Amino acid sequence: MSATDLPLVGGKAPVLRRPWDAPRIGRWIGGLIITAIVLGQAYHFVGVDPGEMIGGFAGIFNILRQGMPPDLTVLGDGLQEALVSIDIAILGTVAATLVSVPLAICAAENVTPAHWAYVISRGIIGVTRAIPDIVFALLFVAAVGLGPFPGCLGLGVHSVGILGRLYAEAIEDMDMGPVQALRSAGASPVQIASQAVIPGVIPTLIGVTLYRLDTNVRSTLALGFVGGGGLGFLIFESLELFMFRQLATYLIIMLVMVMMVEVLAVYLRRWIR
Amino acid sequence: MLEFALNPAVEEGAAPSSTAPGEVLLHITDLVKQYPNQDRRALDGVSLQFHAGEVTAILGANGSGKTTLLRCAMRLTEPTSGGVQLLGRDLTALQGEELRQARLPAAMIFQTSNLVRRRSALANAATGRLGRHSGLRWSLGSVDRDDLVAGAHALDKVDALPLAHQRADTLSGGQAQRVAIARALCQDPRVLLADEPVASLDPEAADEVMSLLRRLATEEGLAVACVLHQPEMARWHAHRVIGMRGGAILFDEPASTFDLTDLDRLYRGGRT
Repeated sequence: MSATDLPLVGGKAPVLRRPWDAPRIGRWIGGLIITAIVLGQAYHFVGVDPGEMIGGFAGIFNILRQGMPPDLTVLGDGLQEALVSIDIAILGTVAATLVSVPLAICAAENVTPAHWAYVISRGIIGVTRAIPDIVFALLFVAAVGLGPFPGCLGLGVHSVGILGRLYAEAIEDMDMGPVQALRSAGASPVQIASQAVIPGVIPTLIGVTLYRLDTNVRSTLALGFVGGGGLGFLIFESLELFMFRQLATYLIIMLVMVMMVEVLAVYLRRWIR
Repeated sequence: MLEFALNPAVEEGAAPSSTAPGEVLLHITDLVKQYPNQDRRALDGVSLQFHAGEVTAILGANGSGKTTLLRCAMRLTEPTSGGVQLLGRDLTALQGEELRQARLPAAMIFQTSNLVRRRSALANAATGRLGRHSGLRWSLGSVDRDDLVAGAHALDKVDALPLAHQRADTLSGGQAQRVAIARALCQDPRVLLADEPVASLDPEAADEVMSLLRRLATEEGLAVACVLHQPEMARWHAHRVIGMRGGAILFDEPASTFDLTDLDRLYRGGRT
C-alpha cells in the first residue's frame, strides 16, 4: 500500500497532511508570541508589585483583627438594610423582566415582527447592557437624590440590557417547529409569541431571571457605595469612619445573605425543571 | 427499497383504484420557484389539482421539489411565479391579513409533530383555531372554552381523546403526530398538506397515521396531499401517486397502476 495507489481527486493526487504540519505549528507559535506581548504590557502598565501585594494582605488582616469581636449592637440595622438590598434587587429584576420579555421577542431574529422593531430593540439592549449599573445608579442619584430608589432604577435599567440579550438568545435557540405550525394555521404574531414562543422558552426565561436576581443582590452592595442605599451603604460608611467592628458585622451579614440567595436560586431553578 | 413490489402480499393489498371524482379544492397552475443563487429551479412549472376525498402521495428523491411545492402552495415560501387557487380564491394575489384568512381552509402537518412541548395535548390541539380569533385572551396565551370543546372533538377523531391532559413532551412519536393532526383538524380545513408526516415514526405508528389520513379523506371529504419517502406507504394508503423529479411532475397516476418501472424512473434516473 502506498500513497501513489490512491485515485486522483479533482485530477490531482490527493494531498495527505499530518495533523501537525509546519503552517499549523507556525500559527501556534505566532499565537503564543502575541499572548506573551499582551500579558507583558498588562503587567507593566498595571504596575504589579509583589511586595505591595504582601503588604496589602497584611493591611486587610489588620482591619479584620481590629474588627474582632464584631459589634453586634448594629445587627438590627444591618439586617434591616440587608432586606433593603434584597428588595432593591427584587424590584429592579422584576421591572427589568417586564420590559425585557417583549423587547427580546422583537430582538430575536427568528420571531421579530418587523425589521425596524429588531433594530430598535437591539439598540436599546446594546446601550443599556454596555453602560454598567453603577454608572446608571450614579446618574439616577444625581437626578433623583440619594437612597434605595435611584439604586433600584440603575439596577433595573442595566438589567433590561442583560436580560433582553439572554432572553433573545434563548428565543433564537428555540425549536421553531411550533412557531411554523401556528403560522401556517393563520396565527397572528402576538398569538405566536404568547402561544408558542413563551411556553417554549419559559423554563429558560425563569432560570435566566433567577440567575440575574442572584447577581443583582450582589450588585446592590456596590450600588450602596455610590449612594444607592442598602447594606452596601453601611459597609461603605463604616469603612470610611474606621468602625471596623461594625464593618465585621455587616460583612458577616453580607456573606450569609449572598449565600442564602444563591442557594435559594439554585433550588428554585432545579424545582422549575 | 424497490423489493416491495415483488412481494405478493403487498401486490394483493395494493390500494383500491376507485377514486371518487371529487371537487377540486386546491388548484396549482404553472408554479415556479427559483431560489436566489441557484441555477436550477426548485419548481419548474408545476400544475396540479387536488380533489376532495382523495389522498395524493407525492414521491421523489431529496431535492426534487416536493416540500417546496407544499410550502409555495401555502405561500410559506414565496413562489417566483404561477397561481395557487384554494377553494377558488387566488392566494398569490393576496397579502397580509387577507392572505392569512384565505389560507385558513388549508392546514399543514409536518415531519415532526411541532407541538408546544410543555402544554397538554388538548391545549395544543385547540391552538389550531388561533387563525379565527383575534381576542385578548388568545393573545395572552389562553384559549376559549368553545375551542377546548372543538379541540376535544378533534382529538376524538384521531383516537387521542384519552391523551387530552398529557403534556406534549410525554407523548410517543405516533401519538404526538396524531395530536398534530387534531390541531390541523381544529382549523376546520378542506385541504390537508402533509410534509413527510411519517418520516420519523416507526412502521406501526406510520401505518396508523397514514390510515388516519386516508380515513379523513374518505369520511370527511378532505383533500390530502402527502409528501412521502416510502413508496410502499403510497401504494397502501394513497388513491393517487405523483412522482416529482428536478422540480417537475414525472408521473401522476392512480395508486393501483403505480409500479416498479415508475419507481425506477423516479429514483434511478430512468436507467433501464
